[in-house]
Amino acid sequence: MKKKLLFLFTAMFILILAACSSSDDSSGDTDGGEDTGKEAASTDKITVWAWDPNFNIAALDLAKEAYTGDVEVEVIENAQDDIIQKLNTGLSSGTTKGMPNIVLIEDYRAQSFLQAYPDSFVPISDYFNPDDFADYKVATTSLDGEQYGLPFDSGVAGLYVRTDYLEEAGYTVEDVTNITWKEYIEVAKAVKKATGKSMLTLDPNDLAQLRMMIQTAGSWYLDEDGSTPHLANNEALKEAFEIYKELMESDTVKVVSDWSQFVGAFNSGEVASVPTGNWITPSVKASADQSGKWAVVPPPKLSIDGAVNASNLGGSSWYVLNVDGKEAAAEFLADTFGSNTEFYQNLVTEIGAIGTYKPAAEGDAYNAADEFFGGQKIISDFSEWTKEIPGVNYGMHTYAIEDILIAEMQNYLNGKDLDQVLKDAQTQAEAQVK
Amino acid sequence: MGWLFTIIAILAICLFYFYPMIQAFILSFQSGAGANLTYTGFDNYARLFNDPSFIAAITNTFTFLIVQVPIMIVLAMVFSVLLNDATLKFKGFFRTAIFLPCVTSLVAYSVIFKYLFATDGMVNKFLMNLHLLQEPIQWLTDPFWAKVTIIMAITWRWTGYNMIFYLSALQNIDRSIYESAKMDGASSIQQFFKITVPLLKPIILFTSITSTIGTLQIFDEVMNITQGGPGNATLSISQYIYNLSFKYTPDFGYAATVSYVVVILIVVLSIIQFKVAGDDK
Repeated sequence: MKKKLLFLFTAMFILILAACSSSDDSSGDTDGGEDTGKEAASTDKITVWAWDPNFNIAALDLAKEAYTGDVEVEVIENAQDDIIQKLNTGLSSGTTKGMPNIVLIEDYRAQSFLQAYPDSFVPISDYFNPDDFADYKVATTSLDGEQYGLPFDSGVAGLYVRTDYLEEAGYTVEDVTNITWKEYIEVAKAVKKATGKSMLTLDPNDLAQLRMMIQTAGSWYLDEDGSTPHLANNEALKEAFEIYKELMESDTVKVVSDWSQFVGAFNSGEVASVPTGNWITPSVKASADQSGKWAVVPPPKLSIDGAVNASNLGGSSWYVLNVDGKEAAAEFLADTFGSNTEFYQNLVTEIGAIGTYKPAAEGDAYNAADEFFGGQKIISDFSEWTKEIPGVNYGMHTYAIEDILIAEMQNYLNGKDLDQVLKDAQTQAEAQVK
Repeated sequence: MGWLFTIIAILAICLFYFYPMIQAFILSFQSGAGANLTYTGFDNYARLFNDPSFIAAITNTFTFLIVQVPIMIVLAMVFSVLLNDATLKFKGFFRTAIFLPCVTSLVAYSVIFKYLFATDGMVNKFLMNLHLLQEPIQWLTDPFWAKVTIIMAITWRWTGYNMIFYLSALQNIDRSIYESAKMDGASSIQQFFKITVPLLKPIILFTSITSTIGTLQIFDEVMNITQGGPGNATLSISQYIYNLSFKYTPDFGYAATVSYVVVILIVVLSIIQFKVAGDDK
């Protein structure tokens, strides 16, 4: 008996130890944060927060190499959610201690930060020429006529298709180029019938497809003012809901619940197409054995008037915080992401990141053929489509409204009347974002 | 003089517990985006009643509470009685096996559950290979099954933890009580209900209160396994607070209001549990 008791105590002791060590870890983290804050105070060193070591952090490393000034740049990797939390808690507490000089913010969240924390970000119009960048990107990164963000990657969307599956179903790449979503569903059914493969993946918790669809028609969850919800009587959104339901009921969708399942589905050849942002290219190319079997065409559009075969999904930009060293930080950005055409070629060849800096599109790297996509010049194509993307004001409440729509979408799929669904969503959104 | 020694602790508790609590209470009467907070009186509290996401969060959290806590308490009690049996072999192994989930990190086990219960995950494969299922169950993307998955996850994680309390309480029950019961001809089921359960009452009260508090604050599991989805089907109150503060344009005022609702709920539920279970005060 005593031995058993001893064991129990040991087990509890381990538990307590585990609890202690985990709290040690977290205090270690905050220490780290404070250290960087102290360093950020001196101007010969600037800190940058970003989240993806294979993408935006890799881009920063290239920028450091390309930078001609003598300021030391320290890049700190944080998960995107952590960056959002740290910014929110830091900025709302009114202290700039521990804040970086430059931070990467997703475009959907940019207005929310700029408006929620006035004077915390520095306008950087004087350091570079916003006209050099794609129009839609400038709209999302500026506030009250002042340019706050320096655009990083383009979220220009494309429809990645498996040419071999399409062929089996009797279609060519031309047949799916510049089509509407309704036509896409027809192709989906034929592909399913001929190959047994699903046409695409959908995640019930992520309405990215919906965002992509409505932007083809220049529409968004909010009015142009960026704060009034525009859900009821939104023709584009209504059609997008109908298409989403039709897709779900057509038996051509593989339902996934997270990112790794999403990537796994096309890597293992379970789906015939991936309609999403160009940043998925490296993940598509991860399956080397599928080389030559893929092509990229412009995303399908909604069938309402004025819709175009161009859209955007995601994308982020650099922002300079109002702390010591802001001039040095703005100069660093302007010298690299803001004006260096050569640097943008490296971004494409080494990381596959497509910027929205217009002069860069003339370079060699942008016009290279990609064997994986059967020799298609995908970078050049994407840059072409970027110009067509309808500019919308993402406003402040993308994710708040999206969560409402996610819940209402479930109601709609379960048979609730669509007009009522959008009306209810409108009421909820108005209460949420007032 | 002796009180001087406690001053540091009292000051620290006031500074790090009561001061933030009061500040949060004041914050709960303000609203606005990020740093632009203004006083809005009781607007936040009125808003609660017309907020479908909040109502969904409350409903889900209570569903977890009502279904999961009793299952877990009963399981913990049954396990502890079985493990307390003097004739049982490999006791140490079984105790370790049931307690071990408690030392795993919340996030780590949540992520593993997410992969186990994925549509093409191990659980579905296993059930299909046994021909118990024709179609895979949508554990994470169906509103009903997502709730079931969460409940299974927290039961797995916390049953062993509660079992430890019962085990230690059982060691304190005098063996002679059971012996005399046996002589009077009581079956083991009668012994369980007439002796074990009444004597464990204080522990039942304690574990049900701590489990209730724990379930009301559930966050890690939902955040990592389902992210509150599909729709709002598994959204918990804590996750809603997180969403209001960090996922959406931050409204710390309203988030503070929602967190005060949790405080009120815990106080009320604890009082009820004391009244129902603990008498002779």
